[in-house]
Amino acid sequence: MSQSPSLNTWSEALSGFYIGWLPLGLLIVAAIPLVFIALYALTYGVYGERKISAFMQDRLGPMEVGPWGLLQTLADILKLLQKEDIVPTVADKFLFVIGPVIMFVGSFMAFAVLPFGPAFIGADLNVGLFYAIGIVAFEVVGILASGWGSNNKWALYGAIRSVAQIVSYEIPASIALLCGAMMAGSLSMQQFSVMQAGPYGFIHYYLFSNPIAWLPFIIYLISSLAETNRAPFDIPEAESELVAGFFTEYSGMKFAMFFLAEYGSMFMVSAILSIVFLGGWASPLPNVGGLALNDLTSGPAWGAFWIIMKGFFFIFVQMWLRWTLPRLRVDQLMYLCWKVLTPFSFIAFVLTAVWEIYK
Amino acid sequence: MQELGKAELNSTRIIRQNDNRVVIEKDLDTEYMVLSMGPQHPSTHGVLRLECITDGEVVVEAEPYLGYLHRCFEKYCEKVDYPGIVPYTDRMDYLAGMNTELAYCIAVEKLLDVEIPRRVEFIRVIVSELNRIASHLVAIGTYGIDLGAFTPFLFCFRDREHILNLLEWISGARMLYNYIWIGGLSYDVPADFKKRVAEFVTYFRPKALELQKLLTENEIFVKRTKGVGIMPAEVAINYAWSGPMLRGSGVKWDLRRNDPYSVYPELDFEVPVPDGRFSDIGDSLSRHLVRAWEMDESLKIIEQCLDKMPEVEGFNSRSAIPKKIRPKAGEVYGRAENPRGEVGFYIVSDGKSTKPLRCKARSSCFVNLSAMKDLSKGQLIPDLVAIIGSIDIVLGEVDR
Amino acid sequence: MSEYFSNIKTGATTIATGMAITLRHFFNAVKRKGDAGIDDPDYFKQVDGLCTLQYPKEAVPTPTIGRYRLYNDIDDCIGCCQCERACPVECITIETIKVTNDDLAACGKTSGGQQKRFWLPVFDIDVAKCMTCGICVSVCPTDCLVHSPVADFSEFDVRNMVYHYGNLTRIEAEAKKRKLQEEKAAKEKAAAEAAARGEAPAAKPAPKPKPAPAPKPESDQAGE
Repeated sequence: MSQSPSLNTWSEALSGFYIGWLPLGLLIVAAIPLVFIALYALTYGVYGERKISAFMQDRLGPMEVGPWGLLQTLADILKLLQKEDIVPTVADKFLFVIGPVIMFVGSFMAFAVLPFGPAFIGADLNVGLFYAIGIVAFEVVGILASGWGSNNKWALYGAIRSVAQIVSYEIPASIALLCGAMMAGSLSMQQFSVMQAGPYGFIHYYLFSNPIAWLPFIIYLISSLAETNRAPFDIPEAESELVAGFFTEYSGMKFAMFFLAEYGSMFMVSAILSIVFLGGWASPLPNVGGLALNDLTSGPAWGAFWIIMKGFFFIFVQMWLRWTLPRLRVDQLMYLCWKVLTPFSFIAFVLTAVWEIYK
Repeated sequence: MQELGKAELNSTRIIRQNDNRVVIEKDLDTEYMVLSMGPQHPSTHGVLRLECITDGEVVVEAEPYLGYLHRCFEKYCEKVDYPGIVPYTDRMDYLAGMNTELAYCIAVEKLLDVEIPRRVEFIRVIVSELNRIASHLVAIGTYGIDLGAFTPFLFCFRDREHILNLLEWISGARMLYNYIWIGGLSYDVPADFKKRVAEFVTYFRPKALELQKLLTENEIFVKRTKGVGIMPAEVAINYAWSGPMLRGSGVKWDLRRNDPYSVYPELDFEVPVPDGRFSDIGDSLSRHLVRAWEMDESLKIIEQCLDKMPEVEGFNSRSAIPKKIRPKAGEVYGRAENPRGEVGFYIVSDGKSTKPLRCKARSSCFVNLSAMKDLSKGQLIPDLVAIIGSIDIVLGEVDR
Repeated sequence: MSEYFSNIKTGATTIATGMAITLRHFFNAVKRKGDAGIDDPDYFKQVDGLCTLQYPKEAVPTPTIGRYRLYNDIDDCIGCCQCERACPVECITIETIKVTNDDLAACGKTSGGQQKRFWLPVFDIDVAKCMTCGICVSVCPTDCLVHSPVADFSEFDVRNMVYHYGNLTRIEAEAKKRKLQEEKAAKEKAAAEAAARGEAPAAKPAPKPKPAPAPKPESDQAGE
């Protein structure tokens, strides 16, 4: 805990950087995550998913716009921007408009507590993890608002399913994360990474240093899929059943906001997973003898690199699962949550507590 | 039927019976919602419309509405002469054109009493079994999509593409072949055809195994389909089901065995029916499994045909085609085993004209779909989608 | 209870199997299947890898037998109208004018050496209507009507899908018609004179040109 204030000196120095009266440093600090989010959502999120799914299905994926179809996402965004912004006449206009906004804002609000390096974090809250869990629940409001506001039967089904799903999966997810919090003895996201950084690289990660951590890790991995409505838990938007679920009625930029929010949440849960169990920005490379790999690959820039890479890896896992598995049914989804994940998360909770006391 | 699960919620009892149907009992009345599923819906395989009366997620009743793809097949048949009907039969079941053509040609040949050369018979069996595999691949792939698995669909279409290429090579068209003619074939097969088909069989076997591992054995897939939409054998017979649907209910009925035509009696193949080990007999999974097993049997049939097919020097595949097709007065019903069930043509000839007086098609999908109302009672919406997918409808054949 | 755990176990193992399969495909994505046609001996050589072909640049070659665009070699057409009668969708429209005796040489012969006896002012194929069944090709006595393996022939205007193969312009057709009329009139006159002379009349009247079954679509510049 003692080193936490000093870690932020780098970003504090940057935020104190003024040119004349202009707080340029603050602008840069604010711009970094925005640029990152935009780049990530445009390049890796949408384009990556298309390419990965294509390769898994023996296809080529987008190839026409730009070299290897790299500009395809940009072209899609331009197309979506040009489309007419339709609000159905019988829709509840306020809810209809506010729904995607809540989704979008909610999914990116958690980025505030994600530490992108030893010295860079938007807000080092001492309840950072708690905040991140809460933000996921906030998205439910957006889904419900858009599903109810659309005045469409499919959208209503999607919204109801989604609320039931996300609220249920909060429980195993939160308990699994609590196991991590017990290991770190803190709720601060920065503290998680600090605790897992060390000269032996990945050995310090909870997933490898703690014999029980794999259980909450898997539980959170599964429930994070459900929280972001990703396959095999994509029943709120299940296209073969509910057409498009809660965003059936949306078009144009509002639809794009749902789209970007989905990829935002995907990165968010992946980052939380890698922060809590895989050391966040801590370099996985160990110091081997005289070769100080770990020291070489640590630092503000490397920290950002590692956490983004870890996040990307789990996003890849999410996509990989999506393009492999069929969809669960509603009651099977609840079965998995209440009868499998929740009991196991309690077991993990108790075992972690025992381990933390007697280790 | 015993109660498997019971949940009490605000004086509402949701009871799941052992055939996976859900019954809701309430002390207070609630309103039903009418949900129009289709004609533009991703899982209705074309332009089927289901008007579902739902109670929450539970379908109380679903009524299929047909006719969006009606093209007056039977009226056309009164206007077109006998060989001209063949391309229209292609367009009925566009996923299995060869099989439908075969059924029609069998009917007319019965009426005309013509002798078919042996080589023609073997080629007919090879192409219709190839087409059966192609059709089952679409059925299995789209069933995966209905349940949310996209990748198997693409794998299925990749392999189907090879079959379509093979059939295009011999007939000149990819889907609407007009290859099997009354009394013969439009062309003889190319010289390398046997070799290429044998290569396809060796290519396809591991791919079918991969498909099985990826989709059929997947636990989520099994959980989604096992015990869903159970159709008891006697009800299935009463509905006049046929094909994989009937065999899925455990009835060993295959026209290739029970009413043999062409050279099927000489060939050695099994009629796969579920034995209850992997699935509950009569459920959606059984129907899916029957299709998967049938692809294996079709491969076996193709291999045998390739061995037995006589090589004839300077063979003319049109040699047995009658110059003028004007059958004597009478009526005939010819049928064949389509990938989706029994396809039959009832033809009445007045003996004077080159056009049939009446040509009625017995469509397998239409008959199979007629049980929809019975099957959908008390199912959840995701189960309803699973059931529609397992029926494997081709709306072109339902509506004709 | 054991069912509970075996369920979880089969779930985990089958999901892992499926994921292994998709991952293998993902890593196989460096290979690509070429655009070998089905008649190529290497067609089934490539088992794994991507199978997309980027259509306008790459395409699966259509086999030579391919039944796509209908084409008529009008120089070989004898105007027998069998294709028109056989077509189930009535996409072929033919008008014929009988060749007068002095024009037989001008009308020419088919490549098979058969004397052509009809002018064809109108031989229109509506390829938009054509369902490529191939029945017309099978009845053609001179094999002049063929399906070519050209599969992509889209047009922006559906009227351009009507292909005109006639071998006379409208003015020429009028002239030929008049000529035929004159010849017929001359023949009738001769026949009448012969009848007047008491000889047995020619039994058959002059064969009428076939009545056009369908109203002729406006066909300017028929046959360039």
